[in-house]
Amino acid sequence: MTACIRALALTFAVLAALAADISPAGSQSAPKRGGSLIIALENEPSSLAPHLTTDTPTFMVVDNIYNALVLLDENLQPKPDLAQSWTVSPDGRVYTFELVRNAKWHDGKPVTAADVEFTFNELIARNHPRAGTWWPNVESAKATDTYTFEFRLKEPYVPFLTMLGSVLSSSALIMPKHIYEGKDAKTNSANQAPIGSGPFKFVRWQRGSFIELARNDQYWKPDKPYLDRVVLQVMPDAAARFLAFERGEVDFLHWYIVPYDQLAKLRKDKRFDLVEKGDAAATNGLLLINHRHAALKDQKVRQALAYAINREIISEKALFGESKVARSHVSSNVRWAFTPEFDYKFDPALANKLLDEAGFPKAGDGKRFALRLFWAAGRDYEGRGAEIIKDNLRDVGIDVTVQTFDRPSFTDRVYRQWDFDLAMQLFTTGPDPTISVNARYHTKQILKVPFVNAMGYSNPATDALFDNEFKESNTAKRKEMWRDIQKQLMTDLPALPLFELPPIHAVSAKFKDVVTGPQGYIEGRESAYEAR
Amino acid sequence: MPATSLLIYVGGRLVQAVPILFIIILINFGLIHAAPGDPVDFLIGATEATPEYIESLRREFGLDQPLWVQLVTYLGKIAQFDLGYSLRFREPVLSLILGRMPATLLLMGTALLLSSLVGVLLGVIAARRPYSAGDYAATFVSLAGYSMPVFWLGQIMLIVFALQLAWFPTQGMYSLRAPSQGWGRVLDAAHHLVLPALTYSFYHLALIYRLTRVKMQEVMALDFVTTARAKGVAEGRVIYRHALPNAILPVVTVVGLNFGFMLAGSVLTETVFAWPGMGRLLYEAIGARDYPVLMGLFTVLSVMVICANVVTDVVYALIDPRVVYR
Repeated sequence: MTACIRALALTFAVLAALAADISPAGSQSAPKRGGSLIIALENEPSSLAPHLTTDTPTFMVVDNIYNALVLLDENLQPKPDLAQSWTVSPDGRVYTFELVRNAKWHDGKPVTAADVEFTFNELIARNHPRAGTWWPNVESAKATDTYTFEFRLKEPYVPFLTMLGSVLSSSALIMPKHIYEGKDAKTNSANQAPIGSGPFKFVRWQRGSFIELARNDQYWKPDKPYLDRVVLQVMPDAAARFLAFERGEVDFLHWYIVPYDQLAKLRKDKRFDLVEKGDAAATNGLLLINHRHAALKDQKVRQALAYAINREIISEKALFGESKVARSHVSSNVRWAFTPEFDYKFDPALANKLLDEAGFPKAGDGKRFALRLFWAAGRDYEGRGAEIIKDNLRDVGIDVTVQTFDRPSFTDRVYRQWDFDLAMQLFTTGPDPTISVNARYHTKQILKVPFVNAMGYSNPATDALFDNEFKESNTAKRKEMWRDIQKQLMTDLPALPLFELPPIHAVSAKFKDVVTGPQGYIEGRESAYEAR
Repeated sequence: MPATSLLIYVGGRLVQAVPILFIIILINFGLIHAAPGDPVDFLIGATEATPEYIESLRREFGLDQPLWVQLVTYLGKIAQFDLGYSLRFREPVLSLILGRMPATLLLMGTALLLSSLVGVLLGVIAARRPYSAGDYAATFVSLAGYSMPVFWLGQIMLIVFALQLAWFPTQGMYSLRAPSQGWGRVLDAAHHLVLPALTYSFYHLALIYRLTRVKMQEVMALDFVTTARAKGVAEGRVIYRHALPNAILPVVTVVGLNFGFMLAGSVLTETVFAWPGMGRLLYEAIGARDYPVLMGLFTVLSVMVICANVVTDVVYALIDPRVVYR
């Protein structure tokens, strides 16, 4: 039925495109003030409090309202925001940040190092879901004078600045001490009506409908922002959301909600731009493999799966040719660490041979054994991928049953009960692999907790590499260690990398510079402007 | 019928509703907690938290307590009209629900009114000339309406009337590009209301049309209609004054019953059209396993359905002189 809707939509869209194909060529000019950018959110944000959540819609809003200490550039290296400069001690344990002097909160008070100290110690360390993964390594975080702030670490952590710049990983958006001090950080009314230092001020949150932000005329960065308003509208239905985009009711669809089957059409339409910018999260689609399964605990069987599954077809059919095949447990977007050299070729004959050797010969009906493959409803490409995997594995005598759950049930089944054989899962691998990869495959992460090592994978050699690579300040040596980690992971296969989620955002051609950096889907829109 | 006996009747019905509500709450509590999934997972988001952090969240929301303790605590709060705190939004459930209620009541009220009026009217017209071309056309359209899933019909409406003809906006309740004030805002909301209200009323229109048609045909065949015609009463008067009041009673019952179904159906319509109502709140609460919001919504919906039933009975008494409440 969805196919039917798509066919209809396509027909109408083609007609509309034919009728409207007279738009003038885009003239690149200096940014001008004015205009309202409307951004689609797939869900209502749970709050506008970055210290409480890792919710994408929340960050799509608050990144406009708050400033970070540092942000990331195209190479996923830190660049200044509230911190105009910083130094790192030779032993890699002390980070000293010099703040800008002219930043002000939306209520007029100055932003100082005391705010930074309060944000890290009282808000992030005590509340943020990911704080437990890095805060224990912090010896102290304090203001050393009005505009200087210092982090002392217990042991060196090379990707520290990259992690701070990745606000989804660290939540390192600086928040006002005078608003949060002495009040419950979880129920403060500023969690719904924030006061920040960023390019846009909070105006109102019409529950269930939209959040409106207005230009901060006193913004501390000269000339910015350009837009008068940023409105973030909640649009839960994927098909209707896309219709709204085509009609020009909404101007921006970020990369998690861009419909891959429509991209070919959008590319030809002058009313829209597709922005393909580096993706800090560097997300891979993976097939998780449960190492507790009688057959799957055999490395040969896991490698047979890797040979039997045609991942080119998954990228081509399940993601409409928009994605690259994932050739390692680190995405190719993390350029310095990625290596494809341990990848598997599609070779069903070799898969059959390995399965025979592993002691799972074909029975009379041509079947070796049965597996269950789970996926969570919501990302239709995962469902299509699961069906392709089912077909591929049937060809080598493995009988796969595909089952789908709603997201909470899936998480429960896979991560709390470990009751799965194979499962489709997206994992980030960036902006630095230490942040995203170590936590998934380390032996100490075999916990009944979401998004960690539900596969039950344990290899002391990999653990040792994980435990030491982040202390290695020599980039060449660290790169070598990551090569070893990828070799080990690709040999052991706690999961099979399937595809790299394509970082493609769709923007109305009326707006320029909506996406400027590697965190384009959540970044603050201080550089965006309406081209007129 | 004297007004006092009606009041006593309504009061009695409301008192009866208390144990019903209690049982509904028990069942809902059981069902919601039996569903697989953990609300803590949504709070963490797509990231890896430590087991200690997860435990601290459980403590914060009382999820570490045995289920029966959670139930007793909840019942104690309900008795004081406190629906608790949303896990996801960290805000009082009651204010979340009340914030979303006007949008749902506007959409539902419009749809209920539209489907009832048009449905009865079409039913009467069809019953006057059964098996005519008009009757067949109305039957076909209503059957189609009855069998089309709301979300699919919604998509078609969007493609035809919003994308192709561009008569109506696709999403939301207000235009965000150029916000208007005062009467402009009312008109803007009305403009946004048309497609969801039409989509929403289609199913119920079919139900009411079919029922009215059948009942009218039955009544038109009765002796008193023949008598009225024999006396020379005009045909319009025969239909609207003699026949319709007799045929309408079961229709009123169905409209009342529909109220409950419509609340449930609002989930799909509100999702397709991004209408900021209770249905969407319910949909999102299911996805997040936000137990207090789910419980609160089901309780509020139950109260609304119970009230709708009482209102239906009162309307019955007003339009049917044979009904006496004791």
